[in-house]
Amino acid sequence: MAREVISTGNELSSMAAIDAGARFFSGYPITPSSEVMHVASDLMPKVGGKFIQMEDEIAGICAAIGASASGVKSYTATSGPGISLKAEQIGLAFIAEIPLVIVNVMRGGPSTGLPTRVSQADIGQAQYPTHGDYASITLCAGSLSECYTETVRGFNLAEKYMTPVFVLLDETIGHMHGKAILPDLEEIEASIVNREVFEGDPADYKPYDVPMNKPAVLNPMFQGYKYHVTGLHHGAEGFPTEDAEQCEFNIERLVGKINTIHLENGGLDDLPDYEEVDLDDAEVCIIAYGSIALGAYEAVKKLRSEGIKAGLLRPIMLWPSPVKKLEEIGERFKDKILVTELNMGQYSKEVERVIKRNDFTTLLKANGRPIAPAEMVAKVKEMM
Amino acid sequence: MRHTLRFTGVGGQGVLLAGEIMAACKIKNGGYGLKTATYTSQVRGGATVVDITLDDDEIRYPYANEGEIDFMLSVADVSYQQFKNGVKPGGIIVVDPNLVTPTDEDRKKWTIYEIPIITIAKEEVGNVITQSVVALAITNTMTNVLPEESLIETMLSKVPPKVHAANRKAYELGKKYALEAMGK
Repeated sequence: MAREVISTGNELSSMAAIDAGARFFSGYPITPSSEVMHVASDLMPKVGGKFIQMEDEIAGICAAIGASASGVKSYTATSGPGISLKAEQIGLAFIAEIPLVIVNVMRGGPSTGLPTRVSQADIGQAQYPTHGDYASITLCAGSLSECYTETVRGFNLAEKYMTPVFVLLDETIGHMHGKAILPDLEEIEASIVNREVFEGDPADYKPYDVPMNKPAVLNPMFQGYKYHVTGLHHGAEGFPTEDAEQCEFNIERLVGKINTIHLENGGLDDLPDYEEVDLDDAEVCIIAYGSIALGAYEAVKKLRSEGIKAGLLRPIMLWPSPVKKLEEIGERFKDKILVTELNMGQYSKEVERVIKRNDFTTLLKANGRPIAPAEMVAKVKEMM
Repeated sequence: MRHTLRFTGVGGQGVLLAGEIMAACKIKNGGYGLKTATYTSQVRGGATVVDITLDDDEIRYPYANEGEIDFMLSVADVSYQQFKNGVKPGGIIVVDPNLVTPTDEDRKKWTIYEIPIITIAKEEVGNVITQSVVALAITNTMTNVLPEESLIETMLSKVPPKVHAANRKAYELGKKYALEAMGK
């Protein structure tokens, strides 16, 4: 039986983390994400986990990375400015292959920007949050229920691919208060993925001695297996190297374990990377994600009531993007595509990259205000 | 049937809680309710607006569509002026006359009732914090969107037991003033 709760997106995200098995949270409060932290502080002690408010954003992620390296599922939460501060350590988690969930409740930027107002302008930052080459996994919740389910998924993907995972909420969805239908706790528990562990002779343990496109096998610290965690390029045992072949292999593997696997398997797990609404007979396709999709559902309904067959593609996994589906949409709808987002076109650029055309329409906003269904309806009418 | 309500005030007045209570009550009664708040980065004193959408069917977009709001209650002029145009022509607006000054044109466009919400909370209930419950009672008495008993029960579940009596009193007073204002 599904569970019905009344809550906010931020609260649901933190509840999901606990249900997914997280037992460590460290972070620093920032609007509009602070409630993720409040709930962690409330729930962690009740399940025998640890919660710590650190002295700043950087320390907030450092402690979470350390806890995860020691074998405990960990997360942190922040908003865009916090991600900027955490950037260096996110890089360490990428190269050292330490699983971590980073919840970013997006607000207007850049810099301090618009602290209390909604934005989707951190999706580019989530794709490339730090210097160097790597591939990001980024999930974007499009409903209260998804604030819960996509956070659970974030933990499972982090453990499966040994990488930091971004769960993007935004001010609207993080703070909106309403009904959410959540899967059963048993269902969640049955879905839990735990990182692989090497159980052989400690003398044979080489955490990074894995084939191309496979994640590292990092045993928890303090259990008799030696470890060396470094941000430097490293060889099979984790010790620094500048060997050209090894360095090339490292980067190809870091990118390939996510991007190549995503392409080859048609996804990184069995869950949907996007939602399609009324696309079967549609003549125009709106592409929207996160809280902007909430308005898009209503726009589709309104347009259909006025005789315009509209449909919606709502990406859930933003990075890697649903390339095959976007190609199909590009092919089928030609220029009858409207990409609408709360930034100056960060996902529109991805659509353009994938469909190799820029003849679609965009409805963009970056002033901290949502996009109303009526604005989408008007834009679609202009296109028809 | 969809009902869209808006509470406006300034940060710290407790308008957020009143919205949460209404959404929760609708959900407990088998429907859908969403509350969203928009506020500024000022801790206190910034214009705050809370949109509440109630429906028997699923609601996705959580903000009120401008020009479609059935009812608005305002306890600060800065937010009244900023957000009044979301109310549909002929819609109901309740203002605290000590804090909000509607223009003559406003009075032609909307049905405006003046109820001294803050004074009622401060002087008659004896606790200014109960203004959100006075507002809640006025809203539901005028719109009749939620079953009263259930709303009071939801409200009491969100406040500590030691202030239950004060909040019950606040609700009763809000209801009384609303009925008087409507001439009932």
